[in-house]
Amino acid sequence: MSSLFADHMLTWMILVPFIGMVALLFVHDRKWVLVTTLATTLVNAVLALQLWMSFDNLEIGLQFVERVEWMPTFGIQYAVGVDGISLLLVLLTTFLPPLCVLGSWDSITTRLKAFMMLILLVEGAMLVVFTALDAFLFFMMWEVTMIPMYFMIVLWGGPNRVAAGLKYVLYSLTGSLLLLIGILGISLQAGTFDIPSLAGHDYTPDSEFWIFLALFLGFAIKLPMLPFHTWLPDAHSEAPTAGSVLLAGVLLKMGGYGFIRFCLPIFPEMSHAVAPTVLWMSVAAILYGGYMALAQVDLKRLVAYSSVSHMGFVTLGIFSFNNEGVEGAILQMVTHGLTTGAMFLIVGQLYDRTKSRSIADYGGLQQRMPRFVAILSLFAVASFGLPTTSNFIGEFLILVGVSYENFVFVVLAMGGIVLGAAYMLWMLQRVAFGEARTEAAKKMTDLNTREMWTIMPLAIAVVAIGVYPGPLLEVMDSSVTFVVERLALAQ
Amino acid sequence: MSIYTLIPLLPLTASFILILFGERLQGKGHRLVIPAVALSFLVSIVAFLDVSSNGPIRVDLYGFLDVGRLSVDLGFYIDQLTVLILLLVTGVSTVVQVYASRYMIGDLRHSRFFALTSLFTAAMTLLVMSSNLLLTFIFWELMGLCSYLLISHYAERPSAARAATKVFLVNSVADVGLAIGVVLTFLTFDTLDIPEILAIAKSGADIPTLSITLLTLCLFCGAVGKSAQMPAHVWLPFAMEAPTPVSALIHAATMVNAGPFLLVRLSPVLVLSPTAMMVIATVGGVTALFAALVSSTQTDVKRTLAYSTISQLGFMTMLCGVGAFVAAIFHLIAHGFFKAFLFLSTGNVLAATHRHIEEEDTKPSRAIGGLFIGALILSVIPALVIFSGPYGYLWLSQSFSAANIALWIIGLATIFFTAIYLFRSMTTIFHRSPPGAKDGSPTVIATPFSAKHVISVIVIATVMVAVLIVVWRWFAGFLSPAVGGLPIQANMELSAWILVPLATAVGGWVVAYLGFLRPKTLETPRWRKKLYVFFLNKGYFDEIYDVFLVRPTIRFADWMWRRIDQGIIDRFVVMLSSVSIGIAHRLGYLDSAVDDRVTSVGTGSVSIARWLGRFVDTAGISRTVDSIGKGVDASGQAARRYEPHTLQHNLLVVVFWLIAALGFFYWVEG
Repeated sequence: MSSLFADHMLTWMILVPFIGMVALLFVHDRKWVLVTTLATTLVNAVLALQLWMSFDNLEIGLQFVERVEWMPTFGIQYAVGVDGISLLLVLLTTFLPPLCVLGSWDSITTRLKAFMMLILLVEGAMLVVFTALDAFLFFMMWEVTMIPMYFMIVLWGGPNRVAAGLKYVLYSLTGSLLLLIGILGISLQAGTFDIPSLAGHDYTPDSEFWIFLALFLGFAIKLPMLPFHTWLPDAHSEAPTAGSVLLAGVLLKMGGYGFIRFCLPIFPEMSHAVAPTVLWMSVAAILYGGYMALAQVDLKRLVAYSSVSHMGFVTLGIFSFNNEGVEGAILQMVTHGLTTGAMFLIVGQLYDRTKSRSIADYGGLQQRMPRFVAILSLFAVASFGLPTTSNFIGEFLILVGVSYENFVFVVLAMGGIVLGAAYMLWMLQRVAFGEARTEAAKKMTDLNTREMWTIMPLAIAVVAIGVYPGPLLEVMDSSVTFVVERLALAQ
Repeated sequence: MSIYTLIPLLPLTASFILILFGERLQGKGHRLVIPAVALSFLVSIVAFLDVSSNGPIRVDLYGFLDVGRLSVDLGFYIDQLTVLILLLVTGVSTVVQVYASRYMIGDLRHSRFFALTSLFTAAMTLLVMSSNLLLTFIFWELMGLCSYLLISHYAERPSAARAATKVFLVNSVADVGLAIGVVLTFLTFDTLDIPEILAIAKSGADIPTLSITLLTLCLFCGAVGKSAQMPAHVWLPFAMEAPTPVSALIHAATMVNAGPFLLVRLSPVLVLSPTAMMVIATVGGVTALFAALVSSTQTDVKRTLAYSTISQLGFMTMLCGVGAFVAAIFHLIAHGFFKAFLFLSTGNVLAATHRHIEEEDTKPSRAIGGLFIGALILSVIPALVIFSGPYGYLWLSQSFSAANIALWIIGLATIFFTAIYLFRSMTTIFHRSPPGAKDGSPTVIATPFSAKHVISVIVIATVMVAVLIVVWRWFAGFLSPAVGGLPIQANMELSAWILVPLATAVGGWVVAYLGFLRPKTLETPRWRKKLYVFFLNKGYFDEIYDVFLVRPTIRFADWMWRRIDQGIIDRFVVMLSSVSIGIAHRLGYLDSAVDDRVTSVGTGSVSIARWLGRFVDTAGISRTVDSIGKGVDASGQAARRYEPHTLQHNLLVVVFWLIAALGFFYWVEG
């Protein structure tokens, strides 16, 4: 039994959400639906911790690998495994869903069971995306994550949900199509779908550029990079709280993960060739996202545009091709998941009380909601990377990494951090301080115990990583070194 | 783990306890914080004794970051400079906390206040103890956060919230410089460890002057922000929105002192770049003079005090710029203690009303004598320090800058105006009656000064100066190993030069006293009026920033969002989607047309059946058809009613097919 468990740890993790979905079928009481989902997500979180504990930091290759033949004619396998990079994203993926369930405890009033099933489905699919060693499996689950998100937006979303959902699907489908082209392109040439062995193959120079471009655009839309970002504010702001958390917290990271898993190791030369352009686009995204956030009057849109800015940091780090930059970028992905997830949960808690996301409808919350304002302040400052919070570590590493390339990027990216401070603190000033501007804002009640439980794990994680980032960096160090060394060889 | 870890750890722990259990400990925060800070003061004394007998101490705690070339260990580096500032920070903080325990009685956010002041103290101690530039930066920022939260303490006042945001933003703009400086330092020295950097700088290793100049200026940018130097000085007056004990902390113990500290900490690096030194001295000198002038025109006591701090900080910065690092720290410590004293003794008066200098209704206070001494010392110290003993020669023959004379004049002018405004504010706060104005009579009523007072003040001043000179000699000997720059001359004879600044200070007092006696006349020359208005409005810095920086940024952001994000990028996508919706509609017509046919066939058959039934078997068939029709209706309605629930069934079907497909391929292919 123990070996059945220990040898198939990843498969168990992937199966747990689906088992939970089946279990939900037999549960009808509202409370028990919630409890079942919560239990399922918690089990997965514990499994992920267990995975982290048994992970060997020093080993370079993949660990916990499982391979089963699936479609041998095409060389397609069910193959999963983790290295340091995917382990961190797996941890993030399992960390957020329990909080999503807690966050939707009271706010989802219709079709609760379906909603919970969607959360579990996203979790399960995401786990496969981050652990898949087979390009086909990766792509299939990449597609699967899109569907539940669409339903979450369209069925439980805000007033403009249909338009937002449509936009999301349009963008995602375009991205997926390009990704499919890219994956088929490399896999057909290399004759395998196995991701690690894809990197070893030489691709024909004619096709290389187009395949790289297709893959790159597919990931860039998901991340999103600058000109492809307009789906994000709509989707984020119209989605229900849990949807926004999953979308910002986990789904966006597929893009960054894709860059590190596919673009960099498979096409090192091409990566070097496009790097200058990408770095400039990243800096543009950082500043542009910051400016956009400054102009927003809707809390969720503000957080959404801040995500655009943060994702700019991620690409900035990844395409600086050194340990500092790439590790910073991965850490930034994780911590962005934590802080932005928390911001959406926080805005959701406000929305539950007043049904308004407009900044102008609040003000003076400090008097009646001291706990809430304390938490909001923490995540507001964490979001623009105040030192002693986790985002700072990521951003600093990225800045050091990119400073080896060109110092101009450091200066410009720092401008983005100032903009971050500006929009977050201005928001805080208008929401938390001063006088209450509406009747609803005057009657607000402070966070209850359940809401505190929703947000405290994130607060603890954000401060803990900010003060002691060592363990997370050690986990990915050897994997990142492996990737970076390959890139250095190609130059 | 060394015992010195306790210095930051005690206030930090107190702060965390209050943050977590603040609601339950409401109103009792000071009982936790005062002992914590007092104990850390005691430990600081131990550290002081240890360092003065055994030299610098290094404590390593844990590895913070180790990525690629970058390796950062969290640890403490406690040398002479650190212990002196530690004594100042923990000492002043203890006094302030004791004071605050009474000041804050009955405050709504009592726990929050003490948690934050305690965290503020801890951050400052960590900043000065840190052995790594990155950690210095981290705690530097953490202090910014504490100040932000403390300034917004009276959150219901919109002005407080606005002030807090402004303070933080000015600081964060300046901190960009600091962050860039940290990265540049890493690129230049390949390490961020402070002792190592200092060792490299002192060893005379071959480092290009340009990169030293760049990194020094970037680091200085941060110091400009935190220490409220021009042009970032605008934040300090806004910080006055905080409760008075916080002002005392900010001005005396934490926050603003970080700037000179950083400059002195990295003094061996600084002196490698004459250009940077020149810039630092100029910025400091200009700030000192400008703020002194503004301060002497302000009518609000809190604002006078704020600009006086700016001016004094400018002085310290200028001292750093000319290489007089020891003097800068001496001034920093003296200023810290006396500013705290000034704040706390005026605090009660200030708390009662937002007092204006030229308003009446004040009662004499018992603290008046002490205040005068405080003010006196404050106006004399810079003069004393800068021109005394070892630094006399720096002013006459140092190689750092060509603009010696200018700095000379600035220094003296600053001393002169400092003396004026200190005299003015101190006499008027506790003045028995208004200096003219209100009732229209331009006569002057008795000042608290009689000849006897003047004599006693002069006697006290002389004694103070003597004491200070003795202290100064010891001080210079103690601190000089920790700083860079020219070695301080062994011979510490007083030079005659000290008389010049002292005389200037006294001259300032006299002018102020005479101006005070003289009735207000309206006939002042126009240029003087203009100058007065200029300085009264603090050089219009706030307005300029608002009009040329803040508003355009927000307007530009709004414009970009509307025009570019929504107008161009988004419109393109919406167009795409509307085109596809159009296509979908077309397809939809086709679909519904097919649907219509099918339905009409259905209805047709039902009507045929009815028609038939009318002829054939009215009763039987009609009933059957009807029931079928009803059944269809009912199931349709049922479907509509259950439609919400069908989603999960659909989902399950999807999942089922997924599993089935997986299984199918597995079994068939395998």
